[in-house]
Amino acid sequence: MSRKISLNHLTRIEGHAHLVIDKKAGKIESCRLEVVESPRFFEALLKGRHFSDIAPIVARVCGVCSISHTMASLMATENALGIEPDPRAKALRRLLSQGEILQSHLLQLYFMAAPDYLGIPSIFQLLNQRSDLFSRALRLKRTANRICELIGGRAVHPVTTAIGGFTALPEVSELKQLRQDLVDALPDLEATVELFAGFEFPEFLRPTEQVCLAQPGQYPLHAERVISSCGIDQTVAEFKTSIDEYIVPHSTAKMARTERGHYCVGPLARVKNSFARLSPMALKVAAALQLNAETQNPFHGLKARLVEVIHFVEEAIHAIDNLLLHSYVSARTTAMPKGGGQGVAAVEAPRGLLFHAYSYDSKGLLETADCIIPTAQNLASIEADIESLLPDLLDLPDEQLKQRVETLIRSYDPCLSCSTHQLQVAIK
Amino acid sequence: MPADLSLTIAQDSQDETLWLAMSQADILRFARALMQAYDVVAPRRKKGRITLGSLNDAAELELEFPPSVHSPKKFLFPHWDELFRFKLDGNVLLEAESAAPPRIIFGMHPCDLHAVTILDDCLFEGETDSAYRAKREATLLIGVDCVPDEHCFCTSLGTDRIAKGFDLFFHRRDDSYLVQTGSAQGRQLLTDHAPETMAGPREAPLALQVKRCDSHLQFPTESLPLLMKDAYKDPIWKKLGTDCLGCGGCTLLCPSCYCFNVQDKLELNLKEGQRVRTWDSCQFDQFAKVNNGDDFRSSQSDRQRHRFYRKYKYLWDQHKRTACVGCGRCSRECLAKIKPTEVLNDLFTQAPSQQIANSPGSEYQPQMAKVERIEVISTEDRLFRLKIAESFNFQPGSFLQISVFGLGEAPFSIASPPDGSDEIELVVRRAGALTQALHRVRAGDSIGIRGPFGNGYPLEKMAGHDLLLIAGGRGLIALRSLMLALLAQRENYGRITLLCGARTIDSLLFQEDLLEWHRSGLIDCRFAVNEQHNSWGIPAVDVSYLFRDLEINAGRTIAAVSGPAEMYRQINPLLFRLGLSDEDIYLNLERHMKCGLGKCGKCRINNICVCECGPIFPYSSVKHLAEAIEK
Amino acid sequence: MKTRIGFFDFTGCEGCQLTVMNLENDLLQVLQLVEVVEFRELMSEEVSQIDIAFIEGSITRQQDHARLKTIRDRTKTLVALGACADNGGVNLLASHQDVAVLRQQVYASDAVHLLTEKPLPLHEVVKVDYRIPGCPIDGREFLAVLQALLLDREPDLPNFAVCVECKLAEYPCSFDYGEICLGPVTRAGCQAICIAGGDRCRGCRGLVDNPRTSPYHRVLEEHGLSVQDILEQYRTFNIGEEL
Repeated sequence: MSRKISLNHLTRIEGHAHLVIDKKAGKIESCRLEVVESPRFFEALLKGRHFSDIAPIVARVCGVCSISHTMASLMATENALGIEPDPRAKALRRLLSQGEILQSHLLQLYFMAAPDYLGIPSIFQLLNQRSDLFSRALRLKRTANRICELIGGRAVHPVTTAIGGFTALPEVSELKQLRQDLVDALPDLEATVELFAGFEFPEFLRPTEQVCLAQPGQYPLHAERVISSCGIDQTVAEFKTSIDEYIVPHSTAKMARTERGHYCVGPLARVKNSFARLSPMALKVAAALQLNAETQNPFHGLKARLVEVIHFVEEAIHAIDNLLLHSYVSARTTAMPKGGGQGVAAVEAPRGLLFHAYSYDSKGLLETADCIIPTAQNLASIEADIESLLPDLLDLPDEQLKQRVETLIRSYDPCLSCSTHQLQVAIK
Repeated sequence: MPADLSLTIAQDSQDETLWLAMSQADILRFARALMQAYDVVAPRRKKGRITLGSLNDAAELELEFPPSVHSPKKFLFPHWDELFRFKLDGNVLLEAESAAPPRIIFGMHPCDLHAVTILDDCLFEGETDSAYRAKREATLLIGVDCVPDEHCFCTSLGTDRIAKGFDLFFHRRDDSYLVQTGSAQGRQLLTDHAPETMAGPREAPLALQVKRCDSHLQFPTESLPLLMKDAYKDPIWKKLGTDCLGCGGCTLLCPSCYCFNVQDKLELNLKEGQRVRTWDSCQFDQFAKVNNGDDFRSSQSDRQRHRFYRKYKYLWDQHKRTACVGCGRCSRECLAKIKPTEVLNDLFTQAPSQQIANSPGSEYQPQMAKVERIEVISTEDRLFRLKIAESFNFQPGSFLQISVFGLGEAPFSIASPPDGSDEIELVVRRAGALTQALHRVRAGDSIGIRGPFGNGYPLEKMAGHDLLLIAGGRGLIALRSLMLALLAQRENYGRITLLCGARTIDSLLFQEDLLEWHRSGLIDCRFAVNEQHNSWGIPAVDVSYLFRDLEINAGRTIAAVSGPAEMYRQINPLLFRLGLSDEDIYLNLERHMKCGLGKCGKCRINNICVCECGPIFPYSSVKHLAEAIEK
Repeated sequence: MKTRIGFFDFTGCEGCQLTVMNLENDLLQVLQLVEVVEFRELMSEEVSQIDIAFIEGSITRQQDHARLKTIRDRTKTLVALGACADNGGVNLLASHQDVAVLRQQVYASDAVHLLTEKPLPLHEVVKVDYRIPGCPIDGREFLAVLQALLLDREPDLPNFAVCVECKLAEYPCSFDYGEICLGPVTRAGCQAICIAGGDRCRGCRGLVDNPRTSPYHRVLEEHGLSVQDILEQYRTFNIGEEL
């Protein structure tokens, strides 16, 4: 007797997907993550557009990680057209990305993941009984968003980011206030660590190759080399070329693999591969959460996310100190491209490795575009994890089974809006 | 022995304006001291432009700057001005506003100070606007002098300088400054916060600085309301309507615009809120709309027209000054490049010249005419062809007053016929300083003309008649105008005979034309010169001699005589003997016309003015005037 | 009983819903007045009847039509949230290309499950009661619209151009820097945030009710744009289709 268990419209993830599990005679026949987010053909949207319009349009791929897309897009275009951004813009771009990762992680941790561990359907339930928790979540998100607003001009779809650097800079007084806000957030962060340290994480192991960027001397955010837990060490371009994207009939999102098979990207990959680069406070938090570099438990993605929050808050404070030390009035080069070209860039988005690659014609109009987004690189792993986990859950009632699987999916913090546009345009 | 003088010198009178020297460093110290007691608002740089804002650091104070983006209206009549707060709690509780904070606006250009006077006029009249008054009374105004940029047109409106309406005013003098007190509070500010300056010597007042604006009105401001009065239907408003983007920038930035909306803003808890007034604009779609959708000013042309009328007519009618201060903010920020000076100058050049007559002395103001061509027609005479703005009607024999600025005005007969063209001709004989100056004029120069004045030869009456024209010397010029008019419709007239007398052949004007007309039989021209052995070989006679062979039909003939006074004494009897009546004899009696308007008295003959009733008179009108011909 | 509101999304980036979340403290205040009964991104609950549904995203597939209609039946008031829902937004950038061709090009196959149609704004499928434009929306405008609905008042959006907000805030005009800006014909309400950030307006909020297109196009021509260029400018956020 075959039974189909389906979770339509998975909740508390970004984007739309269904989970379908086929059971037959007590065994799992198949399980599929059906991504049903509507494909939007972003490459086609970009074709023929002027290079100055590309980043603003591409930001609209995803509301949560619009800044990552903007960064990757700008850097890929600069790479393609031979434009060297203003050196002062680098620090600002990094700080902006930190802000984005912070707000994304905090949103995910409190609003999407925590309810699972608190046994409630959503954080809104806490409004009455634990309004302090709700307020704390909002406070922390506020500070994270403030970084994005101050440097990027707006949290969703930034406006100060441009080819060559930034078109507007924050005031010194605003930066000082932001630094204060970050420092003031530390008690809330401690409370958060305490909260999550008290959660019970399922024990589950499935070794996967973890891939992320490698940035000399720093925790990876914007870099030019890719490394993995299984020995990969390549340039961004080389690694990207080695990625094979393929369609599956049950998903509007493509999946990705290398010759070696599937792999993972994301906070867990970063923490594992760059453990030594974590800030002092972050290392302490990792210890408190019992997270180490050797873990193979995908549920620990949550812990990795929290460790990164602490790490990036600490980094941001130092970054602002540096900015205040060398305050300047502009951070933009206005160099114009001398022709067309091809370029590729990668950034660590909140959910992992993000690639953008473009080619422009001699007038600076886009010919082809290709983006490989983090979640696409994780989808196969998610399915493999679920397949691996399911046998242990078969005896549970359906509701509980669904719950456990959903919790697993949420550990990956998938962003499905992004994953349904990435494509290689093959001109026929 | 004078009384103790020292006592009278040491005390300034309470009402006296003080002038004191301050260096830039002194001013900075003054500002810093002010910041302890007041919110000091001053021009500051923001994104490369000057905007008014609270000073955080006295070092930011600027004393020389182009016009700020927003005017001080930003603080005196702010956008989003809370009128009162309310609480909804079963009943409604209204909370009064607290007093306005004491403030100083440090850096108001003369135009902005004038604008405050306009706002005062408008907002204090009728029911005084208490919110505005509160801010106005709590704010001290410190002026700073300026250099106009290419959009300013304050000089046209007299707003480039201001004598009062400020508490202090800083003038630039060489490398430093002079501060002028304008009120008791201004003096107190110096006493309290710049005591060393106050204790210093009193300086002499600075002479008024002359400013120059690239943009300016081409007519006096006093003519504005009159110009606007008749311009309501002018097609220029339509043009503005198609150019205007409706962005409202002009009215938002205008220092004297204050139209506003009143709206409520509730807090999120829905239990309390505020009623605020916000800047509105007559340029917006919503401004004049009512609930059922009717819009009382729906076209952009009407809206722009309304703005201009408000600034240049309606408020003038009420307060006897324009509501525009020529700060140029509206044109500086207008994407459609609408400039008030261009619009108003356009209206002015379209307007018939008689309309702008009400400013004092306007009827004495000449119009400028361009000299198209100058022809030397004798050793002493030049023929000028002038291009006039609009053709005017006149009779041959009328005259114009010609101006050479600096030398004066003189009357000249119009030498060309009234053919409706926009070109007229004059003949200028070199005699005194003015005519000598005219002889130095080149083609392309402009000279002033006023007129036409006077009564001329009656062309209509002459139709169907024979004409007997008698010219003596330069009297021929007026007759030339007549002859050309006659020739233009030759078939309307009978025989035309010209008896032309001159002192010498060389002084005979228009010889070629006359000989040509004679040869072609158009006019029977007979000449008499006083010169013996002249180059034409004609007997040396005077013009009366030409009457010997004259055969005319007296009943059908009208005579036109134009020449020196003594000629009339000779010729008139001859004309009578020919049988002409005194209604049919027209004389050209020129006198020293000056005003051309029957006022100055210089051209009077007994009880009449030549400029008004002449210079062409039928003999019947002047025969009783003892001064006319008889010695 | 508190007003029950729900958030739904179709084809879009979810940035508008995120902007609502980003209201932080204001959100807390709002939650005193309303009950969020459905918000897939953040909640697992579902209910049958809602008072106000805020819907983000465009409609691109048959199943979306059905889902949208169901939501319409379930709610008293339906508000289009953001540009994609309001007028198609960036989704329509490719609308001049044949969708089947696009699919071939982009997925290199006739993948049937990737069948989509031309993206539609909500109002072309169901009756939309109110709208909050922008890409993303302005959080304060969301609050103002919500407040109006709670007070049983018609929410009104500004009917003047972004230029007004630039002038009030004293931002230098993009045209002075040689940038082409859609501000003069775009509806205000965003506080000219893009110009504040040094970028130009791309028209994400849609046209004002009465755009002064004739003088505006003249200004663009003065800045060197051809008719083709001008039409291109309107395409980024799909405004001015009728122009």
